Amino acid sequence: MVAIRDLALEYQRVAGVASGPVRVPAVSEIDCEFRTAAISAIVGPSGCGKTSIIQAIAGLLTPAAGDISIDGTPVHGVRPRTAVIFQDFGLLPWRTVEGNVELPLVLAGTRRVERRGRVDPVLNELGLSAFRGFYPAGLSGGMKQRVAIARALVSEPDILLMDEPFSSLDALTRETAQEFLLQVRRSRPLTILLVTHSIEEAVYLAETIFVMQGRNPGTIRTRFDISENRLESRFAIGAGDVQDFRSSPRYLELCGSIRAALRESGRTDDGAAE
Amino acid sequence: MKHGARAGLRRLRGIVIALAIIAILWESAARVLARPFVPSPGLAIGALVRLVISGTLAVHAGASLGRVLWALAISFLPAAALGLVAGRSRRADAFVSPFIYIVHPLPKVAFLPIIMLVFGLGELSKIVLVGIIIFSQILVSARDSARRVPQQLIDSVRSLGATRLDLAMRVVVPATLPDLLTSLRVSLGTAIAVLFLAETFATEAGLGYLIVDAWSRIDYPEMYAAIIALSLLGLALFIVVDGAERLLCPWRLERS
Repeated sequence: MVAIRDLALEYQRVAGVASGPVRVPAVSEIDCEFRTAAISAIVGPSGCGKTSIIQAIAGLLTPAAGDISIDGTPVHGVRPRTAVIFQDFGLLPWRTVEGNVELPLVLAGTRRVERRGRVDPVLNELGLSAFRGFYPAGLSGGMKQRVAIARALVSEPDILLMDEPFSSLDALTRETAQEFLLQVRRSRPLTILLVTHSIEEAVYLAETIFVMQGRNPGTIRTRFDISENRLESRFAIGAGDVQDFRSSPRYLELCGSIRAALRESGRTDDGAAE
Repeated sequence: MKHGARAGLRRLRGIVIALAIIAILWESAARVLARPFVPSPGLAIGALVRLVISGTLAVHAGASLGRVLWALAISFLPAAALGLVAGRSRRADAFVSPFIYIVHPLPKVAFLPIIMLVFGLGELSKIVLVGIIIFSQILVSARDSARRVPQQLIDSVRSLGATRLDLAMRVVVPATLPDLLTSLRVSLGTAIAVLFLAETFATEAGLGYLIVDAWSRIDYPEMYAAIIALSLLGLALFIVVDGAERLLCPWRLERS
């Protein structure tokens, strides 16, 4: 379980040539928990500090106050079994698909033979074997995302953090990618946290949704639990029924409630890219 | 590969056409002016061939090339390293940038007298002058390029457990390499221009010397031959940097 207690985050912004960097509050008073092996989502408008929360859980940003713990252990710096997928996927343009996927192992000092033995199954699983020699520039957005997921999975993480993972994909690719994420989740007990500005995406994927409000600092005010999305019920009824959930009255009702919760903050730009 | 070969052929055709146009313009100018200081291209090529056969050209071109390479050897890596550090560290930049703003805009050739006073009239002062020009150019573009490395790339590799050294070698260096090679190409052009000037003083070797020497002997075909040789030296260096870019940055080829 990922537990966040009374978290406050700040980032530095250079205000001008003469003055030094200024500390700007990103989020404050964040309290929430993400259940192990579940998909959780944080929904909020652009600039509400969603990305900062991801960075803090990943150990890339040190909290100004409060604390984050994973299975009872406080987060201090980068944790090997936490994987992050960034909005633009963060692939290195100068490394091939294979080179990108094996990067975590290269950084960990894993020997070449062992690297191959761990990279190959992941490439096969994600349907990337035929593209192993391609550079990211030669791939579509959906394929780049698969490479990013492969790179995340190769280090056998228990937590996967995703920052607006579907926002740069076109509508059809996005639906395929969402199905694909569920499929990946089904095959391993990953705790997934995704931050998104898309209400529909969150309601479709997550069993718990936290709605953010305000900005500089933003905070979490409302929590929605969607029992239909609990993995037990989702995978028991099969993918066909999951599709139906998107056209069910309950789905639309949830989207409406979350939209209302976002509106309360007085500012929405649902649909705008961050 | 097939595509690459065809593109290479197209480029070659372009160069041949450009050379033909220059030759025609030159020949017409020679005929219209009918003065000894504009010999026909045929005469200049003839002189060039004689210089090649006698081995004179090899000596002078070798001297010039040696100076450029030495200058490159002493300036490129330190400039790139300092620039990359300045681009990524605010503290280092606070030291480096003021020097850049003061020194970079100055025409470095103007330092030639000072450099000669400090480093003497020999080889060293010529190498230092060319080196300073390359250093300044590479420093500025390394710093600017390092600043432009997307933070998301840094974050994503950091999240994979990279150390600072990993980030420098696996993210910052490859991300800035294309820019470094581009500015190397630009600075080599400037370096050759300055080399000509440096070689007109206190030396008896180098293409710059050959040009001025032929001029003083009123041997215009040989003077033009030496100018052609200096241009070819520049072209050769360009091609080498191009090749280095293909070899070192293969991911750039896929983009086109």
